[in-house]
Amino acid sequence: MSRVQNTLIESVRKVVGWVPERWLPGGTPDPLIGRHGAVGTQLAQLDGPQKVRGAARFAAEVPLEGLCYAALVNSPVTRGRITRLDTAAAEAAPGVLLVLTYRNMPRLGLVPLMGVTNLGAVGNSALPILQDDQIRYNGQVMALVLAETQQQADHAARLIDLSVDTAPALSDFQAAKPEARTPASILVERNEQSAGDAEAALRQAAFSTDATYTTPGHNHAAIELHGVTAHWTGNRLVLHDATQAVAPTAAALAKLFGLRREDVRVLSPFVGGGFGAKGFWDHQVLAVAAARMVDRPVRLMLSREAVFRMVGGRSPTEQRVAIGADAEGRFTALIHTGYSVMPPYSASPEQYTLGTRSLYRAQSYRFGQKHLDLDIVPNTFMRAPGESVGSFAVESAVDELAHAMDIDPVELRLRNEPETHPLTGTPFSQRALATAWRQGADRFGWDARSTMPRARRDGEWLLGMGCAAGNFPYVRMPSGALRIRLTRDGQATLSTSAQDMGMGTATVQTQHAADRLGLPLDAITFEMGDSDLPAAPVAGGSSQTVSIAAAIAAAASKLTVELLRLAGNASPLAGLRAGEVRLAEGGLVCIEDPTRRETYGDILTRAGRDEISVTETGAPPLEIFKYAMLSHSANFCEVRVSDVTGELRVTRLLGVFDVGTILNPRMAVSQLRGGMIMGLGMALSEEVLFDERSGRIMNPGLADYHIPAHLDVPEIDVTWTGIPDPRSPLGARGIGEIGITGVAAAIANAVFNATGKRLRDLPLTLDRLIGAEGA
Amino acid sequence: MTDFLRPATVEDALALMAAGGVVPLAGGTDLYPATQRRALPGLVLDVTGLPGLCGITTGPAGLRIGAATTWTALARATLPPALAALQQAAVEVGGIQIQNAGTIGGNLCNASPAADGVPPLLVLDTEVELVGHRGIRRLPLSQFLTGPRQTARQADELLTALHIPASALSGQSHFRKLGARAYLVISIAMVAVRLDLQAGRISHAALAVGACSATACRLPQVESALTGAPAAEAPALIRDADVAAALSPLDDLRATAAYRSGAAAELLRRSVATLCQPVPA
Repeated sequence: MSRVQNTLIESVRKVVGWVPERWLPGGTPDPLIGRHGAVGTQLAQLDGPQKVRGAARFAAEVPLEGLCYAALVNSPVTRGRITRLDTAAAEAAPGVLLVLTYRNMPRLGLVPLMGVTNLGAVGNSALPILQDDQIRYNGQVMALVLAETQQQADHAARLIDLSVDTAPALSDFQAAKPEARTPASILVERNEQSAGDAEAALRQAAFSTDATYTTPGHNHAAIELHGVTAHWTGNRLVLHDATQAVAPTAAALAKLFGLRREDVRVLSPFVGGGFGAKGFWDHQVLAVAAARMVDRPVRLMLSREAVFRMVGGRSPTEQRVAIGADAEGRFTALIHTGYSVMPPYSASPEQYTLGTRSLYRAQSYRFGQKHLDLDIVPNTFMRAPGESVGSFAVESAVDELAHAMDIDPVELRLRNEPETHPLTGTPFSQRALATAWRQGADRFGWDARSTMPRARRDGEWLLGMGCAAGNFPYVRMPSGALRIRLTRDGQATLSTSAQDMGMGTATVQTQHAADRLGLPLDAITFEMGDSDLPAAPVAGGSSQTVSIAAAIAAAASKLTVELLRLAGNASPLAGLRAGEVRLAEGGLVCIEDPTRRETYGDILTRAGRDEISVTETGAPPLEIFKYAMLSHSANFCEVRVSDVTGELRVTRLLGVFDVGTILNPRMAVSQLRGGMIMGLGMALSEEVLFDERSGRIMNPGLADYHIPAHLDVPEIDVTWTGIPDPRSPLGARGIGEIGITGVAAAIANAVFNATGKRLRDLPLTLDRLIGAEGA
Repeated sequence: MTDFLRPATVEDALALMAAGGVVPLAGGTDLYPATQRRALPGLVLDVTGLPGLCGITTGPAGLRIGAATTWTALARATLPPALAALQQAAVEVGGIQIQNAGTIGGNLCNASPAADGVPPLLVLDTEVELVGHRGIRRLPLSQFLTGPRQTARQADELLTALHIPASALSGQSHFRKLGARAYLVISIAMVAVRLDLQAGRISHAALAVGACSATACRLPQVESALTGAPAAEAPALIRDADVAAALSPLDDLRATAAYRSGAAAELLRRSVATLCQPVPA
């Protein structure tokens, strides 16, 4: 996040800009794009039957001989120093094996924070874990109790007598604003960017809007709680974890505990939802340390409350968006700035202005974010960090301008579609947002919308329609490795340490491998979730599908070379080079003369081999510097708002997605719809209630932190443009996060259309929909 | 564990409670979350094993509801139309699992200003039965509830039953609650209304509002305005100002005070309108 990083990234961008396309990944489109094979079919999740039968074993379910159980004590105050920590009663309680506090915890270093300058790192918190008597946030772990049963551990944890000398804490968002920091960069982007004098252009604009939008903190609520089972055998550690970062977790633990990397094995075959939360937090370290001290396997599962207190969520934001336009609605100024919370020990910058930077063409721009230091559990990545809340602000503002100008909001957006990336001039690899708008307006029946608010009514219910765009960048992680093992009977096993948090990683890569290797689906085995396999990067930033796809493509190329070498001069393929053959129908086939071919089995048999194995890493993701690569969405919403009580019901949602090739329509619909439901929760009910006096989260559980229930979720229609991205593996872009973006703005805009009330603060609650506010 | 007691008789229960420091437990749906811990604090006395605490019985004096009767049991029972509001409330308390565990007596003893059971019981002139070692006493529900989370129950007393007098079993009742979403939500405002209709006119009206004052309350002024009124005109007689005068709502995270009192008046009008609808032939 330094100026050095900005200079480096900008140099890379410049150099890659000079390099001819064909030398770069994606310069020559992936030959599988547009091929009708296993990719694109509605294959059901391969692990579905296991999950339905309860046979899929999650991290906190692994049975082990001699297992003991951990309970945690969390700090009830925000800042302070422990003055008294009496563990005698807990130690004497039945079944207790160990009480771990800062006094007897092994001395460990800090966990390096994950970030773009340290891609191998995995930490979500750079605070010491049980290393001293200092309390740094409300919820920080004070002690761990280990016992023969979970009940004994829970009981003994209550017996710990803790006194604290409380110190003043920073816990007020508004009070922290004067001390806000301005980081040099936000992820790979320079933070403060401007073109022209946007403030002057705004003042001179024929039409303009300039407003502040706020979003509250949000907390993670994956169905599976964070849990680990840790056990040591001598100096070797095995950790069953629920993680989005299998190999990086193993590397981090090895470093922290002074072990060889090969002596640490992290297993995570199933994860019950990640969304950014299943990273590396304190609980893994505590369980590993405790297991070593008692020399027995340890299970530690966080309670729902502990997930709220110990695993961060999305930062609150306060954002200013201002847009100026000429008489035709062409943007002359676009400004997006604001504040969010990011203490120096957290990893997530909540990049709410990044999406806006490529969304619209304007004559002048100004962008920048400020960070506030508060004493909180480190905030973290949560589905579309940044874009989810940033799109609420910018897409509400566009709607405000459209209303002020009496232009249809879809039309206003179409008038400001950029030809190339607005700030850099870089060409888009593929962008069909305009197509998505037209497709969606038609499918939704947008022409039934009244341009005047409060014009449609059904009894006491006011009806309204709204729309909003969303976007999310294409990310491919560097250095994902993968092994292909091909046996004489024509079976292939693909192995990488990757993670499947329920979205279908193994299924979709099995489809991909079948097409890439020219084998039937049932000849493919996809292994993952084990750090002993070739190391895959973290599953985050919607990057995993294309990252693994690139590794499979690279490994298949290497396999081709190896097979041709093995085939030798007696083969019909003799003399052909790798570029002259393709993998099809269970073997190698000459592209020019398809009669020249040989099966994998025949090649291996003649060479006297049972199998062949290659390991390769995907090419560095230089395409992201050559092209502007982003997914887009056009969201449409219909609401009913009671004119009497202000009750708000979302009755219809449509998302039209421009996300490249759809690899598996069945799973894609589910992934995108799930994202939209999270957007619905953000709009209607999700809100961390934070007591600014005590720094304590007041609603740490699902009884008071309301995620959408079935009755809140309407019919959700999901469709897509289906246009492949010529620059990405398979023509695909990740779809894990785009679903949430734009949804809250579409709902707020529909509420305005229904009621004439503009709500700029989330969530949209009924008491603010009647009465004077927002009129 | 030795801190969990489950006596089989009321006498045993009272003896255990006489020692002090005992927390009665019924469904646990309020008590357990309120501990903010994984285990209930201190000495807990489970009342669900006591005879006579579960179930509904009818006698000449009226209706008796055992304090440990669950919401689900209330919802499924065959009861006079005057208790329709209570049954409608029973299916809106939390989710199904809460309704299976939570009890009416627990709802009263927990004494939340937003307790869903209170307004329907207030319009039924309900009395509560408290048993202690000094004997049995009865109190009107409105006197039992003394403030937010406060009741007239002494630490060594048990709430054993609710009594609804025969005089209050006439007419029909209706319940409505309003939250930020359709279901699984804490009330911003809720109302119960019981009306007797004779020859197209209201002969008796009982109205109560919850979540808009320290304890839920009846609205005598609005009730007298309705008494004698033609059914068709009744909803319009409920004026915002009269409702607001009877309430003392809070500004809080769920809604503003002004919103609450306006919403309460609207809910009352809707419930009265529902009850005054001509019955289709």
